[in-house]
Amino acid sequence: MNRRSRGSSSSSSSGSVGGASDSYRRRSDVPRNRSNDNTKGGDSADVSFIVGTCSSMCPERERVTRERLRDLSVFERLHGNPTKSSSDLAVKKFCRTLSAADVQASDVRPLSVLEETLSYLLSLLDSREHPFEVVHDFIFDRTRSIRQDLSIQNLASEGVIHLYEEIVKFHVISRQRLQGCSGTSISSMHHLNMEQLAKTLTTLYNIYDANRKPDYIYENEAEFRSLYVLLHLNTSSGVMGEPLSLWFRKLTSNLIKSKEMCFVRKLLRSYRNGNYRSFLRTTASEATYLQYCISEPHIREMRSFAVECINNVCYKLQPYPLLRLSHNLMMKEMDVESLCHECGLEIRTDSDGSIVLPTKQTNFCRPKEGFRNYDLIGIEVERLL
Amino acid sequence: MAYVSMGEAHRRITEYLNRFCDAVSYQDSSMLCRLLSFSSNSPSLLSLADALNVFQDASSLIRQSDKFSEYGEILAHLFRSLQSYRVGNLVEAYLAFEKFANAFVQEFRNWESAWALEALYVVCYEVRILAEKADKELTSNGKSPEKLKAAGSLLMKVFGVLAGKGPKRVGALYVTCQLFKTYFKLGTVNLCRSVIRSIETARIFDFEEFPRRDKVTYMYYTGRLEVFNENFPAADTKLSYALQHCNPKRERNIRMILKYLIPVKLSLGVIPKDELLQKYNLHEYMNVVQALRKGDLRLLRHALQEHEDRFLRSGVYLVLEKLELQVYQRLMKKIYIIQKLSDPARAHQLKLEVIAKALRWLEIDMDLDEVECIMTILIYKNLVKGYLAHKSKVVVLSKQDPFPKLNGKPVGS
Repeated sequence: MNRRSRGSSSSSSSGSVGGASDSYRRRSDVPRNRSNDNTKGGDSADVSFIVGTCSSMCPERERVTRERLRDLSVFERLHGNPTKSSSDLAVKKFCRTLSAADVQASDVRPLSVLEETLSYLLSLLDSREHPFEVVHDFIFDRTRSIRQDLSIQNLASEGVIHLYEEIVKFHVISRQRLQGCSGTSISSMHHLNMEQLAKTLTTLYNIYDANRKPDYIYENEAEFRSLYVLLHLNTSSGVMGEPLSLWFRKLTSNLIKSKEMCFVRKLLRSYRNGNYRSFLRTTASEATYLQYCISEPHIREMRSFAVECINNVCYKLQPYPLLRLSHNLMMKEMDVESLCHECGLEIRTDSDGSIVLPTKQTNFCRPKEGFRNYDLIGIEVERLL
Repeated sequence: MAYVSMGEAHRRITEYLNRFCDAVSYQDSSMLCRLLSFSSNSPSLLSLADALNVFQDASSLIRQSDKFSEYGEILAHLFRSLQSYRVGNLVEAYLAFEKFANAFVQEFRNWESAWALEALYVVCYEVRILAEKADKELTSNGKSPEKLKAAGSLLMKVFGVLAGKGPKRVGALYVTCQLFKTYFKLGTVNLCRSVIRSIETARIFDFEEFPRRDKVTYMYYTGRLEVFNENFPAADTKLSYALQHCNPKRERNIRMILKYLIPVKLSLGVIPKDELLQKYNLHEYMNVVQALRKGDLRLLRHALQEHEDRFLRSGVYLVLEKLELQVYQRLMKKIYIIQKLSDPARAHQLKLEVIAKALRWLEIDMDLDEVECIMTILIYKNLVKGYLAHKSKVVVLSKQDPFPKLNGKPVGS
């Protein structure tokens, strides 16, 4: 079997990198084929890893097996034939119970093939032929397999950063687009998507760290780091990972001071103080597309919080005009009406014909998870694309 | 290295072996401590190390006598570790020390009484310190530091030996604290949880029966964990306990506790005296405290910026940033007091325009929409009592207690 020994320059990564704790990873942590004797104790610099030789997106033997078992995704069927695929269509599936011992080099794709595979997969995102959840389901599984191939070969150098970044991007965009899908399994898909997003981010961060050069930030690093903050704005959100005050301790000051990090820290401050006005305005004027996708639930949350506050603290004899609310919450007036209803509040038309929110209503309730998203007016669409 | 003759080396090694065996057989814990305390760099240990490096084959000496060979495994690893330690090969020193520690713990387990607890503490401490040094060496050689992690597993094993019933249990808290130090250093504080659970749920032992030193350290670390989780009342209880029971002569320790206790107290509305900050050299909090007293938002932001790195590294930044609402509250109170002087009848009406003006004086530019938003939050979170008359752009303050105190509860609870 073709194996490659890793030099000491990458040894710092061999234990921790690949935190995508797919069942596989742990096995490949076990040192094999030591080049020196064992007396020096767990010196991980001498571990060797498999080097893949599979030249297509899917190993031949897997493709044949899956053709026989009719285990082909809609994207893999040649002319729609459920028993026939081709090397241009079949993509290696994620396999949970893979054991390191019986992995063949011919089943593992080298970096160049993984790159091609990923760009092929991401090109499917634009496909309108199938509902998004179908597209997502396919890419979700196949990108996981890409990460598996990366970690089994212990590929954790600079060269793989963009692959992980693209996969993170996929999960972030999915987070937003899955909201627009209907179907019984959407909520579990959403959950799994978030789980893999967190895992991929962890691996990505480990790779940034392992390849850290003094005073250097990778091109997209600050933006990808900022996603962690947005995922953890709410301490009780239950998203895995350590609390932000611990997380910040480990960032280099370059990162802390980066534009992207300053932006999310400003959002964090607004969020934690409840300053909905600043939160929405800052998001609209500065968020990148990825940051916006992650922020969407928080935007929703801040808006319903604003409605709650205003209902709570305004003078009873002065109902609050919806037009002003729409301005403050940066949403269409129609959408504000619908938001108020979701919050269990009544609205009415005032004597002068304007629509108002009577305040001090007692039946406010927090809107349920997964309700509609409303546009954020003022966000510069061009910036997002 | 000073020249040591073969005979002299032989003499020193035999002397050490005798002392070790005597310490064990007479259960002389403090002697044993001295014999194991590498980091003390005591002259007798250093000269022993030199002797070992001259003599080379110390294990033959151990084997010669039944008295020594009973502890042969312990001693052989210990010697090897000391030799490597002396020549500055810290990774090797650690690996041998780890083997020694395992053998020692095995022996300790067999001793019925807890006489050697202090010596076990030394072993736990040394293993952690040595691991940190070994990791430094690994890092400087471009290798991944992993010895402290290994030391963590070893300490966990020791914890297991102590945590059961019996007289040795009193040592569990010391090992817990060593584990905390390890996990905090490694950044894996979530691993503290299982240890804490086992300390706090065990009914066989009353927490108060642990040694005071360990109780203080334990409360310090668990208090910090509560700060990270933003559970301020719990953090207050733990850190205050640490402060009350800490040795008053240990200023450095008091300072370490206050570094966390002050932000916690601030977030509960308790402001420390300047003298306290001065006495313990906590100048980084001066302006934060001033900002809270004066309602000066700009000062708060400046103070956070000035010490940003320090606050972020210690993990209190977010706690301090959250004080903003209290600063706003103070500012409103000031405006109210000033209005009361000029026009007592209408002092309870705070115009949004006036608030925006006050903020402009502080060089904070905020439009009326955001001022309204801030006031809404202050009322909603019960930092201001009153209501918002949005048409007239006025906040009407309650006549009674318009600026309620937090009274030891976090904002918005």
